[in-house]
Amino acid sequence: MSADTTVIPITTADTTVIPITTAPQPIVRNEVGLDPVVSHGPALLAGIAQGPGLAAHRRRLGRAPTPSADELVKLARDVDLRGRGGAGFPAAIKLASAHRRKAVVVVNAAEGEPASRKDAALMSLAPHVVLDGAAAVAHALGTREAHIVVPSELPSIRVGVQTALRERVEAGERVKWQIHDAAPRFVAGQAQAVLQLLAGKENLPVTAWQPEAVSGHRGRPTLLSNAETFAHLGHLARVGFDGYAAHGTAAEPGTTLLTLRGDGWDPQVREVAFGTLLADVLSEAEMAQPLLLGGYHGTWLKPAQLQGLRVSRIDIAAAGATLGAGVLLPLAQGWCPLVRTEALVDYLAGQSARRCGPCMNGLPALAGALGDLVHRGGPVAPVEELCGLVKGRGACAHPDGTARLVTSMLTRFPEEVDLHSLGECRGGRGEVFA
Amino acid sequence: MSRHTLRVDWPACKAHGLCAEILPEVVSLDPWGYPIVHEPVTGEVLEMARSAVKACPTLALRLTRPPPRH
Amino acid sequence: MTASLVAAGVVGSKSTSFLNGPELWFANRGTGFVLLLLLTFSTMLGVLATARVSPRLWPRMLSQGLHRNVSMLAVTFLAAHVSTAVADTFVDIRWYDAFVPFAGNYMPLWLGLGSLALDLLIAITVTSLLRHRMSHRPWRAIHVMAYGAWALGLLHGLQMGTDAGTAWGAALNYGCIATVLLAVLVRLGLLVRPKLVTS
Repeated sequence: MSADTTVIPITTADTTVIPITTAPQPIVRNEVGLDPVVSHGPALLAGIAQGPGLAAHRRRLGRAPTPSADELVKLARDVDLRGRGGAGFPAAIKLASAHRRKAVVVVNAAEGEPASRKDAALMSLAPHVVLDGAAAVAHALGTREAHIVVPSELPSIRVGVQTALRERVEAGERVKWQIHDAAPRFVAGQAQAVLQLLAGKENLPVTAWQPEAVSGHRGRPTLLSNAETFAHLGHLARVGFDGYAAHGTAAEPGTTLLTLRGDGWDPQVREVAFGTLLADVLSEAEMAQPLLLGGYHGTWLKPAQLQGLRVSRIDIAAAGATLGAGVLLPLAQGWCPLVRTEALVDYLAGQSARRCGPCMNGLPALAGALGDLVHRGGPVAPVEELCGLVKGRGACAHPDGTARLVTSMLTRFPEEVDLHSLGECRGGRGEVFA
Repeated sequence: MSRHTLRVDWPACKAHGLCAEILPEVVSLDPWGYPIVHEPVTGEVLEMARSAVKACPTLALRLTRPPPRH
Repeated sequence: MTASLVAAGVVGSKSTSFLNGPELWFANRGTGFVLLLLLTFSTMLGVLATARVSPRLWPRMLSQGLHRNVSMLAVTFLAAHVSTAVADTFVDIRWYDAFVPFAGNYMPLWLGLGSLALDLLIAITVTSLLRHRMSHRPWRAIHVMAYGAWALGLLHGLQMGTDAGTAWGAALNYGCIATVLLAVLVRLGLLVRPKLVTS
């Protein structure tokens, strides 16, 4: 596909193929299928059929909400809104911490997880849903300074965001926006790395002695959250608790965006209410395969665990996994989860910022030991030991996420591990694709 | 109760290893020479921990009180 | 030697004989050489402290402690070297010539190198005493100038030192150069295999 090829939109009953012009070269070899197929959704993605423009958005929803800080914190606490960047931190706590003088709002649309497309979908199709949320938070925190971080490897996102911001400025919005381009790497979306980018330094993590909500950009309280989180906050402020809880369950009200990278080439982005059965999200064939849930820093689930499992933080935690960045990566048919994991760890080791000794040394060693185990019948012990060595010893959670992926592989597939130690493999070896 | 944590500024740490020499009760080194902090710093070793913080050639160590859990 | 100076009419009878006499001059020459040795030793220790040599043979704390003590000793010898030069009325070195380079009356260029070295060493000493009150990068930027201070001091002595031309003087100078060069080669990993590579 040449650099500027756009996909002709095919509109079916409730899906629209959204063209996103791709960068000339994929940054990662497993980035085939960049253009997500985005489905209409009940809350955040309710208006995508009307296009991304501000006029249509205002016609449908009216002005941006203007909640007070207390109102917004209470709403966020009542629905137990969690950050959608992967860590799942309670939004109410972040909001409460950042509610001080001279706060700064930072929308993180950098989407560090290479397999995720939900932020790209939001910023392309429903930018004002996100930006209204950010404006609402800025109003609540009593600030006018807002930043948005976009991925540099998807230039059309930046174009879309610039257009959206220009529309808002022309409409008289008082928030002062700045756009920043994240470096094309995994750790570029990490919170401290983003703050470094905002400070004009290299887009890599540094040690944080205080949470950024307390002391972040230029020492000011900084509300840095994923783009989807802001979308939820805006929606919440607009429709209130009852409106928000119209979808989801009593314990987990609301919806969440998932990226499905299944049998087809194109990733799908879907807005799904909490409590939805996974069987209603994945195809039958996909339900029969091991699932990597959360993204490249996620955890494996066996097919047996998928039956009856719901899209629910609580249920998924009970199964020993996390929703993470909301990426669902079913293993392709006939492939081996160990081979797949090893290729991912190889990639992750290469994504180290090379700033912290344990990560810079430990992840390649882990990739090596895992490679020995998977391809050369090597022992398990060094793999486990290295997982323990890299956890919690770095400026960011990149080594932790990688160790989590490997540990879940060892836990879920002990029979495969035994087979490989004998030099056999049930599945195939293959090129990794996202 | 003087319960402190020895925290490492990982990008600053260059594996000089003085901390492990001064404070072997709390710090050991991984295969690449980087510190593994085993336990919180309490009363008796607090002074040695302070020496370790002062001795680090890249000022990569900090002694902090653990934050209250929420 | 004193006799030839008297014959040349250089040594007068008006100024006090101690400040004019050879004792301060000898002290200045002596402290100069000891200073060079101490600075060389300190530089070598500083370089090796950052090299990845196994701590089993030579504990890191020992390197750091020794580096600090040798440096402090060097500073005292530096103070002595500068004071004897200024106090000595035989040559016209005013007190501020010690700090302001190239403005002197007596061999301004070579003396100036020494003044420059002194300025650098003052900056290095002060920042090192206050290391914990400043951030690491600026401290390190100043500290690295120790190489420069050492080189300037060596050159100052080579050109200006009375004993530089002697066999033992030359041997000491070359020995100091070789010591620092060797340490740098070890640090760059060109002589001894480093234990690990860090960022």
